[in-house]
Amino acid sequence: MEKEIVLKAENISKSFYEPEPFDVLKSINFEVKKGEFLAMMGKSGSGKSTLLYVLSTMDTDYTGNLTISNILLTKKSQDELAAFRNEHIGFVFQFHYLLPEFTVLQNVMLPALKLKKKSREEIEEDAYNNLNLLGLKDQAIKKSNKLSGGQQQRVAIARAMINNPTIIMGDEPTGNLDSKNAQIVFDIFRELSSERGQTIIAVTHDEDFAKHCDNIIELSDGMRL
Amino acid sequence: MLQSVNNLISLIYLTANKRQTIVAMLGVTFGISMYIFMTGFMTGVNNAQTDLAFSTIAHIKVYNDGPVDESNIAQRVYPSAVVHLRHPKVIKYTEGIKNANIITDFIKHQPEVSKYTTQVNINVFFKNAGNKVNGFISGVEVNEENDLFSIAKYMVSGNWNNLRQQTDGMIIGADLAKSLGVKVDDNIFVLTADGVSKNYKVIGIFKTNIVGIDKSKAYINIGAARQLLAVNPGYVTDIQINVQNYKKTNVLAIRLRSNVKYKVETWQNANQQLVAASFLRDIIAIAVSLTILLVAGFGIYNILNMTINQKIKEIAILKAMGFSGKDVMTIFLTLAIVIGIIGGLVGMGLGYIISRVVNNIPFEVAGLHTLPMAYNAKEYILAFSFGLITTFIAGYLPARKASAIDPVNIIRG
Repeated sequence: MEKEIVLKAENISKSFYEPEPFDVLKSINFEVKKGEFLAMMGKSGSGKSTLLYVLSTMDTDYTGNLTISNILLTKKSQDELAAFRNEHIGFVFQFHYLLPEFTVLQNVMLPALKLKKKSREEIEEDAYNNLNLLGLKDQAIKKSNKLSGGQQQRVAIARAMINNPTIIMGDEPTGNLDSKNAQIVFDIFRELSSERGQTIIAVTHDEDFAKHCDNIIELSDGMRL
Repeated sequence: MLQSVNNLISLIYLTANKRQTIVAMLGVTFGISMYIFMTGFMTGVNNAQTDLAFSTIAHIKVYNDGPVDESNIAQRVYPSAVVHLRHPKVIKYTEGIKNANIITDFIKHQPEVSKYTTQVNINVFFKNAGNKVNGFISGVEVNEENDLFSIAKYMVSGNWNNLRQQTDGMIIGADLAKSLGVKVDDNIFVLTADGVSKNYKVIGIFKTNIVGIDKSKAYINIGAARQLLAVNPGYVTDIQINVQNYKKTNVLAIRLRSNVKYKVETWQNANQQLVAASFLRDIIAIAVSLTILLVAGFGIYNILNMTINQKIKEIAILKAMGFSGKDVMTIFLTLAIVIGIIGGLVGMGLGYIISRVVNNIPFEVAGLHTLPMAYNAKEYILAFSFGLITTFIAGYLPARKASAIDPVNIIRG
């Protein structure tokens, strides 16, 4: 069965000019289908994280065209992109990046409160459900900086899931975790992609992680291998 | 909308790290309270000095200055000639102001005039037993004199208003009383330049703390003074005028000069040193307020800027989650304004308390009892608005910077 294409990258190139001119991405092309679990691999400095941030719309300093859910995102304004990210993209960073002064529950709820598609009560219920799914329900009212690294990373995933985004992106989402927690995180991603039909794009250098993905894109020196 | 997610975030930032919030508020509070206290103190000092300066002199004085020296008429006719006159004399044919009513009627109708009074001033010798002191008597309109110079405030014994009924009563300076060896109810013998002598009864003693006045001046009723000189009821020697704004005497002085044939002297003409002192005090006051505003402004700016810059990574996270630049601005401006308002209100309160405390410190010099202080609502409002504007700018600049950059630049360092 032919699945629809959710992400399309055409001729994505990016250069740094400091400290000296350097082409970090060289004309990258690829497509990602709905529900696909994609791993991006490459050595340190290969440009894989840079590419991920371009795909995430958080980095607008590139050439080429990026289309997600049939919307051309290149050349859109910062605020339009922010609104798009809010609804369509969930992001999991290597270092969780929760807001330390907020409770776990507040952290998870924030993107949905921003989206304003549901009432506060519904959002709170969704957040509890997500936390429950990740085994964190009893941590909900703790300050997020009181949790362990593995727990925080799972909270970050719960946050990324809250608006049911089209794509969830992860920058080394397991890179900072022990193997047990890494396995938990991987399983969650796997489940999201196969059962909820959410597209996952994760940067990793963990071979073990990558080989259980649907697809692998390998980068070297800014080019697709 | 109070319940918006942006307000929720601002609220969490304000309450999560209370110490930091309080430190930021204290920055605003100190700046504002220092400004309020310093300007209040300086204005108070300036007002006290102005009050002291005008306790004996009026803003404008009209008096008979004697004729202009026009003895050398020949020189005027032949400007280039060498004219030599022997023993020229300028003779004063008139003394004082006769029919002062005409002039006071005119003065009364000038819009700038707030108060005026007439005086008959006479140079005399005071005598008591063997003691002789020269000085002068000021024959005054009892009520008006007090309106202008608040002399009742300086009474150390006796009652100023008694001068109204007691035509043989005299109120004398404290140092004069001492050198004559008199006290209340004693008699004083007065001798004028024309050789007229009369007895007065001391009914009060005043002390202005201006030594020159306290050791040579005495007040009597203006009627009694006219009697002493044997002149008509219309006769006065000086007309003292106060205007609404003591700094603006010129317009009235010019108008008076063209309507009154007597000498019109403003306090600025007569007291160049007071003009200089007043002007310098104003400059210092402005310089000090500006300095405080500048220092306080930088303090507020730094502390708030720091607070927001510490959150720059969290701003990037918020943006990654889909918060727009406008949201980030709203969040941090709300933060800044709440800090500004609370810090400002506390600052006004603290400024007022410090002012009150300083205002109660005893300071027994020159008729003052405590350190002077002014409480101007205008300064409080100015300080508060300044604090608010500064916090707004201090919040706005880093928030704008943070709202404009790609979040990835912050997240990836």
